[in-house]
Amino acid sequence: MPAAIRKTVPHVILLAYVAVILIPFVIVVFSSLKESNAEVAAHPLGFPKELFFDNYVKAWKQAKINVYFFNSLYISLSASVAGVLLAAATAFALTRMKFARTSKWIYQFVLIGMLIPGNVLFISQYILIKDLHLLDSPWALLLPYTAGAIPFSVLLISAFMRSVPAELEEAAIVDGLSSPGLFFRIILPLTLPALVTVFIINYLGNWNEYLLSNFFISTDRLKTLPTGMVGFRDAYQTNYPLICTGIVFSVLPVLVLYAFLQQKIIEGLTAGSVKG
Amino acid sequence: MKNTMKNPAVYWAFVLPSLALYFLFFIYTLLTSVGYGFTDWNALEPARYTGLANFRQAFADSDFWVAVKNNLYFILFSVFLQVPLILFFSLLISGVKRLQGLYKTTVFMPSILSTSIIGILWGFLYHPNDGLFNKVLELFGAEPIMWLGDTKWAMVSILITNAWQWMGFYIVLILAAIISLPKEINEAAAIDGASGFQRAARITVPLIMPIISVVIMLSIAGAMRVVDIVLVMTNGGPAGATEVMASYMVNQGTRYGEYGYAMALSILIFAIALLLTALYQITFARKIERIDY
Amino acid sequence: MKRKLILVISAMLLFSTILAACGGTDKSASSPSSSAPAPSFSASPSPSESEPAKAEKFDISLRHIQVGQAQQFRKAILDEVVKRAEAEVPGANFEYDAVEDSVNRWTKLPAEMAAGNPPKIFDLFGGPGDGQKYAKAGKLLDLTPILDELGIKDKFTDFSTFVIDGKVYGLPIGASSEGLFYNTEIFTQYGINPPKTLEELEAAAETLKKNGITPFAMGSSAAWVPLMMVNTMMARYAGPDIQAGLGNGTRKWNEPEVVAAFAKYEEWVKKGYFTKGELGIDYAGQTDQFITGKAGMLFDGTWRASSFKADGDAIGKALAGKVGYIAFPSVTGGKGDQTAVNYNQNNGYGFSADVNGNELKAIKAFIKNMYTDEFQIRGFKEDGVLPSMKVPADQLTSDDPVISKILEANKAATTVFPHFDSLVVSKVNGEVEKQIQLLIASKATAQQVTDAIQKVSEAELAAAK
Repeated sequence: MPAAIRKTVPHVILLAYVAVILIPFVIVVFSSLKESNAEVAAHPLGFPKELFFDNYVKAWKQAKINVYFFNSLYISLSASVAGVLLAAATAFALTRMKFARTSKWIYQFVLIGMLIPGNVLFISQYILIKDLHLLDSPWALLLPYTAGAIPFSVLLISAFMRSVPAELEEAAIVDGLSSPGLFFRIILPLTLPALVTVFIINYLGNWNEYLLSNFFISTDRLKTLPTGMVGFRDAYQTNYPLICTGIVFSVLPVLVLYAFLQQKIIEGLTAGSVKG
Repeated sequence: MKNTMKNPAVYWAFVLPSLALYFLFFIYTLLTSVGYGFTDWNALEPARYTGLANFRQAFADSDFWVAVKNNLYFILFSVFLQVPLILFFSLLISGVKRLQGLYKTTVFMPSILSTSIIGILWGFLYHPNDGLFNKVLELFGAEPIMWLGDTKWAMVSILITNAWQWMGFYIVLILAAIISLPKEINEAAAIDGASGFQRAARITVPLIMPIISVVIMLSIAGAMRVVDIVLVMTNGGPAGATEVMASYMVNQGTRYGEYGYAMALSILIFAIALLLTALYQITFARKIERIDY
Repeated sequence: MKRKLILVISAMLLFSTILAACGGTDKSASSPSSSAPAPSFSASPSPSESEPAKAEKFDISLRHIQVGQAQQFRKAILDEVVKRAEAEVPGANFEYDAVEDSVNRWTKLPAEMAAGNPPKIFDLFGGPGDGQKYAKAGKLLDLTPILDELGIKDKFTDFSTFVIDGKVYGLPIGASSEGLFYNTEIFTQYGINPPKTLEELEAAAETLKKNGITPFAMGSSAAWVPLMMVNTMMARYAGPDIQAGLGNGTRKWNEPEVVAAFAKYEEWVKKGYFTKGELGIDYAGQTDQFITGKAGMLFDGTWRASSFKADGDAIGKALAGKVGYIAFPSVTGGKGDQTAVNYNQNNGYGFSADVNGNELKAIKAFIKNMYTDEFQIRGFKEDGVLPSMKVPADQLTSDDPVISKILEANKAATTVFPHFDSLVVSKVNGEVEKQIQLLIASKATAQQVTDAIQKVSEAELAAAK
């Protein structure tokens, strides 16, 4: 008996945690199918009396969730890919190429960036983007997102690249590879786990980002999901079913994607970071 | 042929793009902040040099210090409540065989959602009349709590939401570290008769100390830059009770047009972050194995 | 590992392509439905059809605040004005950007003004904290020549809060009063008569409270909401000229009568006359409190009246026919005219100074179509917005019971007073907003609150000199 209890207790605790994570989603899905606030308020966790799909039509028409979603997707994706590639190139030059003194200086210089907490430079960045005449264009987000990831990415990828054995590199050079060739053919594939980790962390950060996108973008069709949805919330605050439908729309594609890729995402996230 | 690794053209081609972006968005903007931090500037009229006036104002500005305190709450809450819980759950998950995948997948899920959408969702749960929490309290006959509308509860409410979103992310990090430990160590200890708890405390935790340190560092960094969740859920209210440094700074600039003052605040926030980093290095990081990148 | 990464990326790309495709279809599908109600427009043929080659297409951004169901009637009027303006200016496409009112006024627009990229047309408030500040900084289009050209300069009853050095920089879309809506059903049920004095109002509140009904619906997470009532109480206690005096510094925020107004508000907070947890409830939530019958009274602007219409999707149609409206009751011993009502013509449209020829044409067409007798009357009839222009008095009748009550209440008044936020600079307004929330949170007393505001006010007035 004690052994059985010892085996069940962790599951009970963990299932409770799982419930805490899932219950908000259940409420949102149920509420989105309810007809009125009164029905939502009466039994938040109750199954809808009648499945009321009108909210879905309404929310889809009122909020341009598809537009916001697509903006978020391509901006986060391009900024993260660009950030990883730029950082990897830099890390390669700093750690593998023979410019030790310069590299050390540059490395220290980039390290300073790690000390600056995110958002602190928001106001100056706002002025900068304004002076570059990029406000209200996708570049207003692409550039700061890409730049913002550089210090951390360079650091993490450098750590990985240092551990690549020098013999591999020498052999490749003897075989006639140039330094860019070495980078693309040998080093990039070898450090892929770290690159994936950096990519995922950057991607999640960009996907979530609200502050910059709220101020740097005004035009509705350029808005990203976080800002678009907050606008939607502000407009329909008191219509719970509609708000919940909006949440379902914006969360569902992510969850579907996650359901398929969760193992890869989690593996990728941990593969590069645990080694450090 | 070794010369290819000494080719300056390649070197700079690889380094300059990142360096240029980094310089523009970190160093140049930092210098702008410093420059404007000493001026009175509303961004509508030319800036006027005012010396240290902004900094004097900041030190006397009790609202700003409330915001600093709130960031400290974030840090304390993350380090002393969240991290032990994260550790606890990671150990639990690593100890079970069945359903491990489900646990891992579910707890990680909130961290892939937008903070603002989570803010909207939780705002709904915290609703004074119709939200889940007060419905539950009502069920037990307890007085409802004005979660986001009560100066005493608003900060706690945000902290809970923040923990709900990010704990899983860290659990997954630590879990990976635990799982990658050699199995023999644990098995040997089990044969020696150590209980699950003893094994965790004496063997597992010390071995994964480096990754715990990373988690603490990331938590502190996250707590320092927190802003989105506050802007979405309370916008610093009620009565400034949930204002954090970044939201206060942003509002001073964008809302009140005090761009000079906001830049001065950003310098101060940077200084506070430096101070905290130094403190962390001296007190905590030294004791654990140093992580050198 | 490499294959996994490629899988992730290609899956995401695939997904985004699908979404992009969906996005395309949605736009074309939804546009006809949004343009459905346009009965009077079909008469004029579209000029762009007759000369398609010449019309150069251009976008002109338009920031409006008519978001959500409560603002639907306003949005419908805007839609039609835009449609007419688009028909007049070949190639013009008015691109909407819908932003909630207080987000626009206090977050987005100030930031955009500072960055120099406001929309071309935008919702704007007058006064030294908003329109006049931007006008001084050269951010707003001088509308005087357009008004002269269109010959409508003398049509407005008052646009003084948008004027700097004799030039007009904004046009009020309508006027409004702020007063007390009440639920007649609840009042009848508990035998309450519409209060005429403050004592009667407090007695009514007490009765409601005893019966488990919140006396006043309140959502003060945005501070301008409770400040509506505070503004009127200030006029009752300190006289209808107090706002002007506070604006130019001849009166003080901490003079005893103003303190008394804040103290009365504080007392009501303590007595539980307002919605519980009001600091966590926003403006829409406040309306909801009243509509659902949880609260018996609502102090709000007359623009809210259309929410209680019987027809259409009015958010409060359940309350249709059960809403009364009175001016705020008189205060015994209060200074000045106790029948005075609040009257604002402070919200309308402003236009960016940074426009090209095409955009200027579109702006002209927008003004020409928006500021007409027709839309002033429609705004009044459909939406309860009082006119900001001189329209024939015989047109201003309404069979809507709430709007008739509003007209009645306003007719009884001989004096009007503005809202203080149209007369003070943004820093003072910001301080009042902060302090009222502290008062509501019981973190400061009326005296402390008014002292703090007076201090900022003095500093700002001194700096202005």
